[in-house]
Amino acid sequence: MKKQHHPITATIGVLAASAFVLAGCSSGSKGDDGDAALDVPFGATTPAASGPLETVTWMLGGEPTTLDADIDATTADDTVLANVCDRLMQVQPDLTLGHGLASDAEWTDDTHLVFTIRQGALFHDGSPVSTADVVWSMQRHSVEGAAESDEYRNVVSIEQTGADQITVTTSQPDAILLQAMAGDGGIVWNPRVIEAEGEDFGSPGSASACSGPYQVTSWEAGSQLTITRFPDYWNSDVEPLADEVVFRWADETAIANSVTTGEAQGSFLENAGAARSFIGSADVSVYQGPSTNAWVLETTDRGALTDERIRQALSLALDRTGVAAAAFGGLAQPWKTPVGSGAWGYEVDTFEQAYDALEGAPAKPSDADLAAAEDLIAEAGAPSAPIVVASNGSSTHNVIANALVAAAQSIGLEAEITVIPQVQYGDFYSDPELRGQADLWPDEYYISKNDPLGFYKNGASDASVNFGVFSDPEYDALVDKGYAATDDVERAEITTELQKRWVEHAVWIPVVATPSTLIMSNAVTGVPSSAAFIYYPWAVDLGSAKG
Amino acid sequence: MTFAFRKLAGMVFTLVIASFVIFAAMYAAPGDPVTFLIGNPENLTPERIASVRAQYHLDEPMLVQYWHWASGVLTGDFGQSFQYHQPVSALLAARVPITLSLVAYAAVVLTVVGIGLGIVAAVRRGKAADTAIVGVTTLAASIPSFVLGIAFVALFAVELRWFPVAGAGSAGLDRVYALTLPALTLAITALAIVSRVTRQSMIEQFSSEHVEAARASGLRERYIVRDHVLRGAWGPIITMVALVIASMIAGTVAVETVFGISGVGSLLVDAINTHDFPVVQAVLLFMVVAYMIVTTIVDLLLPVLDPRIRRRTVSA
Repeated sequence: MKKQHHPITATIGVLAASAFVLAGCSSGSKGDDGDAALDVPFGATTPAASGPLETVTWMLGGEPTTLDADIDATTADDTVLANVCDRLMQVQPDLTLGHGLASDAEWTDDTHLVFTIRQGALFHDGSPVSTADVVWSMQRHSVEGAAESDEYRNVVSIEQTGADQITVTTSQPDAILLQAMAGDGGIVWNPRVIEAEGEDFGSPGSASACSGPYQVTSWEAGSQLTITRFPDYWNSDVEPLADEVVFRWADETAIANSVTTGEAQGSFLENAGAARSFIGSADVSVYQGPSTNAWVLETTDRGALTDERIRQALSLALDRTGVAAAAFGGLAQPWKTPVGSGAWGYEVDTFEQAYDALEGAPAKPSDADLAAAEDLIAEAGAPSAPIVVASNGSSTHNVIANALVAAAQSIGLEAEITVIPQVQYGDFYSDPELRGQADLWPDEYYISKNDPLGFYKNGASDASVNFGVFSDPEYDALVDKGYAATDDVERAEITTELQKRWVEHAVWIPVVATPSTLIMSNAVTGVPSSAAFIYYPWAVDLGSAKG
Repeated sequence: MTFAFRKLAGMVFTLVIASFVIFAAMYAAPGDPVTFLIGNPENLTPERIASVRAQYHLDEPMLVQYWHWASGVLTGDFGQSFQYHQPVSALLAARVPITLSLVAYAAVVLTVVGIGLGIVAAVRRGKAADTAIVGVTTLAASIPSFVLGIAFVALFAVELRWFPVAGAGSAGLDRVYALTLPALTLAITALAIVSRVTRQSMIEQFSSEHVEAARASGLRERYIVRDHVLRGAWGPIITMVALVIASMIAGTVAVETVFGISGVGSLLVDAINTHDFPVVQAVLLFMVVAYMIVTTIVDLLLPVLDPRIRRRTVSA
């Protein structure tokens, strides 16, 4: 997974909330503020576009930091790069895996993955995309310290084995390597441009080194970034309707205001709750779609939570519906697992059925759930010290921390909240001393590949985000088996078994899934509403709503 | 000559002390930059943490780290932003002009309106206009700038659509147009202090001997106000306007955030939250330097405007 950068949410949280109230009473475009079921379409895409557009303004949550994905890639960077850079494979709007610059990819045995590279594609500088360029790019991604190098950790060698053929040799089976080639680790770079730009590559003003359907034509640092249709795009099936997309960036409130006034046509929101004020609007629509994002209560080995019965009891008693309503205005889903449905990039039926069968994480605890939780506590014995849950003071963290305290109290446990400064909150992942101050901490977690195995590997006893509450040799063996299963059906079975074990043992306590959330002017349409916008060239589907 | 030299040496000394204090404060602040530098928690292995610490010199003692930074600055290298992976100088170059235009715009509004209101209040002292001006500006001063900004956006940008809701516009008139609401927001909250100082300073002059003398010689009241009262009152007014402007440079943070402006203020908040040391350091030093420049200009300007003042300095 990649952690999002959390820009200024804490300082501005109060401010944004008050802005909402003000904007709400003044704009008058809101529908009812009652809590009737929210009529928000949920799916992979928005209605297809029917007409061309000269220019579209799209809001980002922050300024892109660099367009060199091997250095770093924030959500804003990825939202732009998805349209500019082709990858070997391509995530589709429904989050399944399609082909990109590789027309074919096949595991010939457990440790050899063979790619067939399309011939005839052109980089934005007009030079052809050669098989050797692809090898060069993969090697650049795999260099120690490069942002995507972890995707290549099992890769031993990358060699050109034919005019249009590349063979990747791995040290052990790695079933999700192919998924990774649809992400930033699969971008095909133009080596000539990168070598010519040197240190400056990726910063404002540096030349494009990609072959995607759009190219960056200007980046005025601090103000805006423009991408323009690339006329010589190799895939003639792709016919973008929008000639250019202008990206601007602002905080959540300013994004909402820009879309309200029509200064911008849309935005993929980082916080689903921010779309609440557009529900019922006559000019702007809200769309949601699958993503892998989920809010979880991560657990530490500080004290009582090392006993899985306490974790199970807390999970049974947690009011997830309440959290979804209070923290996300109903735009999140109570969720039974620590990873959203966007992870189901294959064998969707298998994952759906397995999800439905899961128990132990009710949306709203029933009397039976509470009784079961109390039995678990009785069996385990109430912990001597109160359970401590952390918050960084943001409204979402506070709501979830409070929900956990309420859950604990409802089953006779003592619990309290400790506030950790926002700038320090991320250190829970790296600092054992900080973990010593709390039993649980809420956070939003997501994975960058659409395969739940990429999440459940974190339950292995040696995983870097397993903080000592769970260790099971059988689970570890299943993870290895999953990674060896290049066959989707087999891997889905193993992964659902891992999921079952994770939820049964309540390794982390799942809270809500936060779907990908899009606000868009009714004048434009077509883009995916799933989390595919991170890697899929979503702007090619964007167009006018009227023909 | 010795005056200029002493002034310059004082500024350099202030800068060195300020940079060290800022560096020490960032160093002592909670939170580990490595968490942000690596980003993905699944990559936070001890080996990776160690290698990133070494790469950014984070494993060295504070004084050594400070020296790394300071020796770079001496050669004009402010380092690379941890977050943007660009030279800090490039980041600042893109944002300083925006913040300076915002402050300049606000300063013009503040000076014209603030001094204007002060003059009216002083001339009509004790009357209804005076009470109204003092009352309204005091009320305006009590509204935090971000609250005022949000209200302005809601009313003038979202509801009436007279101004853009976010951004600083492109160059020229478009920028002036886009920066109107933020500049008004910055200026309005500071109006009270400037109009009050203007009023007070003028009222003192009204009762001074040279004004009495002018009045006794039968001069018309408007000439008395212009040539005698205001002339004698400029010192405190200019000093106060300068101090307000200097503090505005450091005070654009909230306004920039509300109006979605990528200036140094929003860069600073962002950098503090992501432990982007080199950027924090450079932005704060920029603010210190800007403060010193503004106060120095006033020091030089005051004796010109009022010969009674000789090298009486306002800066610390």
